[in-house]
Amino acid sequence: MKGAANTSNKLDPTSFMTSSFIRYLVMVQKELLEQARSYKLLWVPLVFVLLGIMQPVSTYYMPVILEHAGSLPEGTVIDIPMPLGAEVLAQTLQQFGTLGMLVLVLACMGTVSGERLSGVSAIILVKPISASAYISSKWTSMLLLAWGSLAAGYLASWYYTGLLIGETPIVQAYESMLVYGLWLSAVMTITLLFSTWLRSSAAAAFAALGGALMLTLLASLFPKQLGWTPGALSGFAYQLAAAGTPDSSTLSAAVVVTIVCMLGSISLAALQLRKSLAAE
Amino acid sequence: MTALLEVKDLTKAFGTVKAVDGIHFTIAEGHCVALLGPNGAGKTTTIRMIAGLLKQTSGQMVFKGAGNRGEHRELIGYLPQTPSFHNWMTGFEFVVYAGQLCGLTSAEAKKSAKELVERVGIAGAAKRRIGSYSGGMKQRLGLAQALVHRPKLLVMDEPVSALDPIGRREVLDLLRELKRETTVLFSTHVLHDAEALCDDVIIIREGKVALQGAIETIRDERRKPIINLQLENDESSRQWLALFIQTIRDEKRLANQLSLFETAEQHEGAASFAVKDVDAARQLLIGEMARNQIKISKLEVGHSSLEDLFMKVVGE
Ligand SMILES: Nc1ncnc2c1ncn2[C@@H]1O[C@H](COP(=O)(O)OP(=O)(O)OP(=O)(O)O)[C@@H](O)[C@H]1O
Ligand SMILES: [Mg+2]
Repeated sequence: MKGAANTSNKLDPTSFMTSSFIRYLVMVQKELLEQARSYKLLWVPLVFVLLGIMQPVSTYYMPVILEHAGSLPEGTVIDIPMPLGAEVLAQTLQQFGTLGMLVLVLACMGTVSGERLSGVSAIILVKPISASAYISSKWTSMLLLAWGSLAAGYLASWYYTGLLIGETPIVQAYESMLVYGLWLSAVMTITLLFSTWLRSSAAAAFAALGGALMLTLLASLFPKQLGWTPGALSGFAYQLAAAGTPDSSTLSAAVVVTIVCMLGSISLAALQLRKSLAAE
Repeated sequence: MTALLEVKDLTKAFGTVKAVDGIHFTIAEGHCVALLGPNGAGKTTTIRMIAGLLKQTSGQMVFKGAGNRGEHRELIGYLPQTPSFHNWMTGFEFVVYAGQLCGLTSAEAKKSAKELVERVGIAGAAKRRIGSYSGGMKQRLGLAQALVHRPKLLVMDEPVSALDPIGRREVLDLLRELKRETTVLFSTHVLHDAEALCDDVIIIREGKVALQGAIETIRDERRKPIINLQLENDESSRQWLALFIQTIRDEKRLANQLSLFETAEQHEGAASFAVKDVDAARQLLIGEMARNQIKISKLEVGHSSLEDLFMKVVGE
C-alpha cells in the first residue's frame, strides 16, 4: 500500500488511500450482509459441520450398519479395524474436498457475473471506486465464508472424532486446516476469476471446479515434478492430518506459489473487469 | 457561463458500426440539456461514455473540476435506462450504500438518504426490499441513489420513458426542481419532455449531431409560417392537389427563387406548405382553388412547431 506515496499528485496520497480503503470495507460489509440475507452464511457452514460430524459418526457405526444390512449370512463375524482418529480427520478433509467445495463454488459462482447480468454493476461501478477494491471486497468475503465454514466443520469433526474414535492432538488438526484452507482459498480465487471473465455463473462454476480437479489430478499424477503446485496442497493437508510428515520444503514452495498465484488471479480479475467495462 | 463538460469528437465503434460518430458539444454549468434522438441514435452509448461505463474509441471529454487523476466519476450522478439494484437490500440501505461508495461517511450518507427518499417520494417504501418495488419506484430510487452525493452533473438515460403518464409528470416536476440545484443532462426520444424542461437541446441521429442549441433560439430561428390545407375527399379535389404539389416541387427543382412556397407535403386529402410570404401565398392558393372549383374544408395559417422541425431533422 506504500506504492501510492511516490505519485506526484496534488491529492494527499494517504487520504486517498484511506478513503479508498474505507470504500473497500463498505463493500465487504455489503457482501457479508448479502451472504447473511441469502442465508449462505447459514447453510454453507452447516453443510461443512454436517460433513464434519458425519465422518466420525459413520465410521463409528459402520459395523452396526453393516450388521443391519442383512445381506450377510447368519453368524458372520464383522471385524473392521477401527481407524485412528487422525485418519478420520484426513477422510473428513476429503469430504470437504468434494461436497464442501461444490457447495462453496456454487454459493460464490455468481459473485461478479450475477451482478453484471442483472445490471446492478452499471450503477455500482460508476461510483468512484476502483475495480481492484471491488474485486478485493468480493474476494475477502468469499474467503471469510470458506475459512469460517472450514473451521466450523473441522472443529466439529475433531470434537466427534475425539469423542467416538480417538483423540488427536489439536496442533496436528490445526496445521492441516491451515494448509487445506489455503487450497480452498485458491479454489475461491479461481471461481472469482472465472466469474469475472465469463458471462454465465454456471459456466464460471463449471470452469472453477474443472480447474480445481485438473490441478489436483496433475499434482497427484506427478507428485515429484508438480509437488510445488497449488493442486498438491490438499494432499499435503491429508498427510498432515493423518500424522504424516510431508516434505516441508516442497510444502512451503507450494504455499508460496499458491499465494503468489492467488494475488496474480485477483489482479487479473480486476484488470479483466476494467477491460470488459470498456469493451461492452 | 462556464462549461462543465466539453465533449470533443467523441466516437464509439462497435466493430464496424459507429454507434456514436464524432459528437461535439458543451454543457454549460447550471443548464438543463436534453439529448434527443430516435431509437438507436446513440443516446445510451453517449451517456454511458460520459458516465465512464464505456470507453470511447476516440475523442475526449473534459470535465471542469475533475481532479488530476482524471477522476470525474465523483462529479457525476448516473441513472441508467433500466436501473437494477441489489434486490435483497431495502431502498434506504441502497441509497446509503451508494452514498458511502461516493465517499460519504455512514452518518452523512444516512442523512442524505433520508432526505432523498422523502423527496423522490418513496419514503413509505424505503424500509421494504427493493425486490418488491414497481418500475416507477425503481426509477425514483435510481434518482435518489444518483443524487446522494450531490453531484455536479446529473446524467439520466430516458428517465421518464418507462413511466405511466402520472409517474411521468411527477418525475418531470421533480426534475424541474432539481435542475435549479445542479446541471442536468438527460436523453429522451420525446421532444415534448425536452421542451418542457430544458434550456438546451442536442438532437442526434445515427450517431451524429443533427442540430443543437438553446431551445428558444432554435424555435425562433427555425420558425416558419405554414399554411395547412384540408380538402373534401372527392376525386377532382385530390387530383388537383396532387398536381398542384407537383408543380411546386418542379418549381423548386428549377430553383425558382420567386416561388412563394418552400416545401409542400401531402397527407391524404390534406397538405401543408411552408411559405415565405403568408399573404401572397394564401391569395394564390385561394385563387387557384376558386378557379378549379375545389371544395375546401379547412384552411389554416400557423407556424411550424419544434415537433415539425424535429421530425424533419430526424427523418431526413
Ligand atoms: N454493445 C453493443 N454492441 C454492438 N452494437 C451496439 C452495442 N450497443 C449499442 N449498439 C448499437 O449502437 C447503436 C446506438 O445504440 P444506443 O443504445 O446508443 O441507441 P439509443 O439512442 O439509446 O436508442 P434507444 O432509444 O432505443 O435507447 C444501435 O444501432 C445499436 O445497435
Ligand atoms: Mg437508449
